[in-house]
Formats: sequence, C-alpha cells, structure tokens
Amino acid sequence: MDPVAWLLGLGSLLVFGIIVVHLLAALVLIIPTWRICTRAGFSGALSLFHLVPLIGPFIVMGVLAFTDWPNGEAPPGKR
Amino acid sequence: MGMEILGLFGLSSVFGLIGLVLAGWMAWRIVEKTGLPGWAGLGAILLTLTGIGMIVPLILLWVFAFMRWPRDEMAAAAPGASSPARPASPGALSPPPAALADRRPWRLSGLSAGGPVVLSMDGTQPAYVLTGAAAQQANELCVPDPTVGQPHARLFVSGGRLGLEDLGTPGGTRIDGARLLPEHGPRDISAARAIHVGTVELALSRA
Repeated sequence: MDPVAWLLGLGSLLVFGIIVVHLLAALVLIIPTWRICTRAGFSGALSLFHLVPLIGPFIVMGVLAFTDWPNGEAPPGKR
Repeated sequence: MGMEILGLFGLSSVFGLIGLVLAGWMAWRIVEKTGLPGWAGLGAILLTLTGIGMIVPLILLWVFAFMRWPRDEMAAAAPGASSPARPASPGALSPPPAALADRRPWRLSGLSAGGPVVLSMDGTQPAYVLTGAAAQQANELCVPDPTVGQPHARLFVSGGRLGLEDLGTPGGTRIDGARLLPEHGPRDISAARAIHVGTVELALSRA
C-alpha cells in the first residue's frame, strides 16, 4: 500500500473524528445555553456560537454577562 | 529547541490563565443576574482546574439552565420592584383575583406610525385580536404600524377585567415595561397603565 495514501487516509479519519467530537461537545453545551438564552430574553440561536472553536463560548458568555437581559434581571440589592 | 517548546507552553499557559479569569468573571456576572450568588458561577469555572475536570461544571451548567431562578421568584413576589432600566418578568403581574364592579369599556389610546389610535373594548366580544393590518372583523383592533404583528396580541374582556396575550411577533409586547412572552399566556392588565405593542405605546384607561 502507498504510504502517502495511507497517511492521507489516516489524517482524513483523524480530522473527521475531531469534527465529530467537537460537534458532540458543542451540542452538550448548546442545549443548556439555548435554555439560558431564551430565559434571559435572547434568541436561543445565540448559543450556536458554541460551534465556533475556542472563542465561541466566550462570545456567548460575554453577551449574557455584559448586556441587559430583555426578560429582566435580579435587582442588584438582592443578589 | 527546548527553550522554544517551553516558551510555547508558557504562552499557552498565559492564554489559558486569561481565559480562565475572563470566564470566571463572566460566569460570576451571569449567575448574579439570576439572583444566585456570583461565587457559585466562579466556583463552577474554577472546578475545571481540579481533577474533576469538565464533567461537574457541565452538570452544573445543565442544572443552572433548568433550575428555578430566584429572579423569577423575586419578580413574582414583588410586582414593580425592579428598576425601569431592568424590566421585571411579566410574572410580576398579579393574577386576576375577582370580577370588577366597574363595567365601563376599556380604552387603549396612543400614537402609531399610521396616526392616532383609539381602541375600545366594550365587552360585546369575549376576545379581541390586535393587529397591524386593517380590521376585517368586529373583534379585530387595528394598530397601523410596521412594528405591530399581523396578528400581534389577543385581548380578553371578562368580569370587567382586561387580559392580554402575546402571539409571538418579533416586535414584542410589554406591560408597564415588563416583557410579555407567548409562553406567559394571558395576563391580567386591568391595573396596568401602558402597553407597548412593537414600538407603539398605548395608554390604558376606561372609556
């Protein structure tokens, strides 16, 4: 068997595996984040930023942390 | 070569540390907004540093997403307690206790993009549909404005009281500043003063 073809096949399999694992990991984060976003008053689609590698979760958290929630927040004095 | 690899690890550590601090700070703020103690969010992020790894913070995220937040209880217990900058949940509106003796028709008046709007609900219809389109039927109330859905909301007259239900349009509905969502169902607005449908503000009064 051609070693180059073998390596390319192995590499493709590895990339495919990484993508599948990334999607599964993102899904586990997207479901609860979708719920949090809708309860806060944002579109649930905001949670799809989890699909962006590395910075995606930071974007979602940044929006939730630093903007006023359309559905209201706990009063500052009662936190 | 060895130094370069060590430098790479050092750089990764710096980015990792910045990410951890940022995530902890944001988690603190998010958890605080729900009425829970902020340190709980920070703690959940810091748990990723321990041997427990990602599993426990992940479970905590799921619990946090589906648990009852103190914010909702506060809103239900203290109507109108929130500041105007942070509108309360429509859960803050009290449920209709009993029929009212006053049976005068309800009136919603305001100014839309299409001109002045005066809507009257005399109770001859059990329910009215508030729409941005021209009224076709006796129970349709027209608010000619592009931010008002077609239909936008449903109004109910029962026992001298007035109820409002949002039908899930992008423009949204607000009761005295508090957002009304379709999942909240019909809400008693007899004691409300201002209703927002889209960007149109309607004052509630008796005719």
